[in-house]
Amino acid sequence: MAHHDWLGLKKELPPRRRLLLTVLSFVIPIAIWSVVSYVPWIWHPLIHITNPGEVDYFSEGLDIPKADFTKELGKAKAAGQQLPEGYAVNPVYLPAPHKVAAAFYTAFKTPPRLPNEPWLHESLGHSIRTIVLGFLISSLIGVPLGILCGTYRFFARLQEPFIEFFRYLPAPAFGALCVAVLGIEDAPKVAIIVIGTFFQQVLIIANSVRKTDPALIEAAQTLGASRWKLVSRVIIPASITDIYTDMRILLGWAWTYLIVAEVIGTMSGITLFINQQARYRNFDNVYAAIAMIGIIGVSTDMFLSWLGGNLFPWKRNTRSSVKKLSLFNQGPRKRLSGGLQSGTTPGN
Amino acid sequence: MHSSELHLPDYREQSPAVADRFRRIEARPVILDVRNLRKSYEANGINHTVFDNVSLSIHRREFICVVGSSGCGKSTLARIVAGLDESTGGEVLLDGTPVTGPGPDRGMVFQGYTLFPWLTVKRNVMFGLKMGGQSDSIAEAEARQWLDMVGLSKFEDSYPHELSGGMKQRVAIARALANKPRILLMDEPFAALDAQTRGQMQNYLLQIWRKVDVTVLFITHDLEEAAFLADRILVMGANPGRVMEFIENPVPRPRHDDQFLSPEFLALKKRLEEHIHPSSAGNHDHIPMIKMTDAGDDVE
Repeated sequence: MAHHDWLGLKKELPPRRRLLLTVLSFVIPIAIWSVVSYVPWIWHPLIHITNPGEVDYFSEGLDIPKADFTKELGKAKAAGQQLPEGYAVNPVYLPAPHKVAAAFYTAFKTPPRLPNEPWLHESLGHSIRTIVLGFLISSLIGVPLGILCGTYRFFARLQEPFIEFFRYLPAPAFGALCVAVLGIEDAPKVAIIVIGTFFQQVLIIANSVRKTDPALIEAAQTLGASRWKLVSRVIIPASITDIYTDMRILLGWAWTYLIVAEVIGTMSGITLFINQQARYRNFDNVYAAIAMIGIIGVSTDMFLSWLGGNLFPWKRNTRSSVKKLSLFNQGPRKRLSGGLQSGTTPGN
Repeated sequence: MHSSELHLPDYREQSPAVADRFRRIEARPVILDVRNLRKSYEANGINHTVFDNVSLSIHRREFICVVGSSGCGKSTLARIVAGLDESTGGEVLLDGTPVTGPGPDRGMVFQGYTLFPWLTVKRNVMFGLKMGGQSDSIAEAEARQWLDMVGLSKFEDSYPHELSGGMKQRVAIARALANKPRILLMDEPFAALDAQTRGQMQNYLLQIWRKVDVTVLFITHDLEEAAFLADRILVMGANPGRVMEFIENPVPRPRHDDQFLSPEFLALKKRLEEHIHPSSAGNHDHIPMIKMTDAGDDVE
């Protein structure tokens, strides 16, 4: 029965099932994490000492491997000393879900240890600024160049072979060079994001532009469109939705270059925050900060998807880079029925 | 009626009305003149001829259909007239001037749907007018008139993806006609539509053609469609593509569906079929029929 088929090949699921599965895709990993965190016999390899007893190297608050604790407990029992006490815990680098959840709030409230270190919101702001700046600079040159290469074979032949070669060079490889040329502040970080984005951008956008249906171009030609008008009124509007989707995907890639970019020169932004917090062993803050990157990324993409639906009303189904999350923009599409308006009595 | 009784009467033997109609058409000025047109291309060092020696003259407000089996180059002919393809010999004259490239004086309706998906129906019809430098307000007023003519005023703010196939082609016709072309080229415009819609569209096209001063060159592989629409039918053959015959259609106008069974119509159809599907020997294209299972007596 098709109705009960959850695993139909290439069949879209009903909306409620889609929503359920979307929720489950987050619930399942969190559930596994919760089980590992809250059920003592699953893992919990350490003992958190609450009372050191008379064991000389134990102290209150220390985490000790279970085997060592059992050995010392046995020794203390045999010697008739005061017994050490403690309870099983996970290592500090795996905080429980509720601690990380709390860190989403407390991380913003945790003051930096040193007066010149940034707060979390400042770190995030710094990272977003770096991304946006790098992405803008890349797009300012990359989008027009991509359109040019997609439209004219001349520019494609002139540019693309070199760009094809250059895009295989890993952006971080240019880190030392960028610092040497641009200093240690934000400039080299922005440069890494530009290098990481630009070359892919030109090729991907050129490809999208090249996919323009040639029949549309021919139709425009028979309607009297000149050379330049063909580009501005046909080729660009025909590929604008694909270019928009490309930009959304590229923005996601820019985030992956961010962490690499931020360790170049003086460490900055969210990377600095994560590193500092890890050093202070505030792993709940580390997890929260990493999750925040994901949340910013996904919510930006969802916003852009929604915006795309409004910018391009003729194409409400823009391809989504996070299809499962884009539950909106899928309203029922009305198909107007055909039929002649005036009479069909034969004439002539 | 037995088929052997059918023969295509010469239009001159027809009723005085039909004979008179063709005399009047021939007295009109020639809009499109195709002279000794040739198209060939080279692939893997071998020269292939698409067609050769194609000539025809189309008079003002004439409706010409081009029929032919696949590979005869009938679509290529329309594309060369439109200026989208280049010929390799001969010439195409529009009002006596050689055609060198695409232009708004030759409107085209394609088989595929070529409405601009990012423009509303109204904006699609306005496209050519805007390219011609018309102001927004004039273009809009004219587009409204054309949409009214094809009966789609109600859908002027819809996007193409909201329309059915037949409606899309009606918008495409309105868009091409809004430019007031000297000739309307139609390359199998109804081939992708279902049979019922196709019939409606044929009637509709004749209604529009009657109201508008436009000459039509209509490419089709549907012989009934050609017989129903055309004043004259250019029959092309394949391998290599060439003109087989240029037939005056004796079916009187105005045309209506009842004529599909008239003797003139059937005779014309038979004549066309003889060109397109020759029943004579030498047809190497037959499928060998091997009986796989023993079919019962009641199965044919």
